[in-house]
Amino acid sequence: MRCNKAREFLSMEMDGMVPPDSTVELEQHLETCADCQEYRSDLLLGKRLLAATEPELPENFDWKLQLRLSQTLREAAGDAAFPWEEKPSDAWAWLRNFGTAAAVGMAAILTFAIFVGPNDTSDHFVADSVGANPAAAVAEGGNDRLPLSRQIRFNGLQVGGPMQRQAPGMSLTPVTGSRLGLDRGWSGGNLEDLRIINRLRAENRQLTSALLKSQLQLRLRQAQLDTSAQKALDLEK
Amino acid sequence: MNLSRDEHQQVNPSAITGDLREIRDEDLIVHVQNGRRKAFDEIVSRYKGRLFSFILRMVKDPDLAEELTQETLIRVFVHAGKYREIAKFSTWVFTIATNLVRNKMRQRSRRPRLVSLNPAPDEGEMPVDPPDHEADSSSEVEREELARLIQEATSQIPEKYRIPFLLREVDQLSYEEIQQVTGLKLGTVRSRINRARNRFRQLIKPLLRNETLLMELERIEARAEAEKGNN
Repeated sequence: MRCNKAREFLSMEMDGMVPPDSTVELEQHLETCADCQEYRSDLLLGKRLLAATEPELPENFDWKLQLRLSQTLREAAGDAAFPWEEKPSDAWAWLRNFGTAAAVGMAAILTFAIFVGPNDTSDHFVADSVGANPAAAVAEGGNDRLPLSRQIRFNGLQVGGPMQRQAPGMSLTPVTGSRLGLDRGWSGGNLEDLRIINRLRAENRQLTSALLKSQLQLRLRQAQLDTSAQKALDLEK
Repeated sequence: MNLSRDEHQQVNPSAITGDLREIRDEDLIVHVQNGRRKAFDEIVSRYKGRLFSFILRMVKDPDLAEELTQETLIRVFVHAGKYREIAKFSTWVFTIATNLVRNKMRQRSRRPRLVSLNPAPDEGEMPVDPPDHEADSSSEVEREELARLIQEATSQIPEKYRIPFLLREVDQLSYEEIQQVTGLKLGTVRSRINRARNRFRQLIKPLLRNETLLMELERIEARAEAEKGNN
């Protein structure tokens, strides 16, 4: 047996893992190899040194653990009790909020445009057709922009112009029909609606006040708990 | 010694009967799952020392080691419901501890280090500095000093060897348990422990030939034996 292999077995021997069929061979090697004998005694000494220098736990370890555990449980209970409480904002929250606001805004504009536009029974889109001869239209304007006289009109509002590009060949089909307006939202003049709003506001105020009171009491209890725990720690010291 | 799941389910979760110290870990955690705080206290008393010892030898910083030990135990409590007896309880606990230690060490290594302007010898090649007994032969090597030297030597073993080495030497986990904790193959666990022992031997070699230190070691062992007898 070579020294490398013997040393591998010596490490395994410390854990009682030497294969039985290698034990005799290992012992034979050790009888003739002083270096490996020294290696074995060094490994055993190293193990003894590690065991003898086992670090001691810091003082008040148990107390600190109990405090941390209580805190963790309190936080968990807090999350369950006040799930609506504001969490610390993260770095990208503003971007998400902005995105949401932008999406809501666009949806509102579209809704307004489709459902609450002027009562116009004429064609909704008035577009001088460029589809018939797009090349001519481009040639007329000197570029691929529509000439001023052929801007797209949307419910009477001008949305196209010199700065708006129109792909050659594109044409908007006129839509005819009556206005699709629906009566949505609050009437504004309805007294019943106002009463409901006022009642809901009053309820909201009451709930907010109760919540603040509970939160205040909770913080007070937390402070009392921390103080008594600190006193206990001081006493132990 | 793992019991089957059928045997595991025979634990009466409604009450703790008998001495808590007699109950095995896997049954204690069932009681913790059922909200028995005393069972958790028993787990803490069994594991706090072993965990602290392992973690301190990994991170070297006593405050950080204390924090991570507590964090491990808190996670055991909070996630007790997730433990299933497909592995030994000690394996589960040390897996949590090892993951916490690895994360912390990764965070540390990402932080920029302060570099000394004084040239220092290569850390990997630097042996542990033995106490200078020529200069002060009357001074006794205290346990703390010995512990510091051993800690210094341990921390110079590369992390990937140190974890299985400490799990084996300090926490007495079997090769199979270390395999489960680290996710390594059994052969790799064996060879890493072997390499770590070899490295550790090289690092403490100056201490091993020091007579005063060996006498101190014997004194420490005798004291420990006497304390064990008193308890």
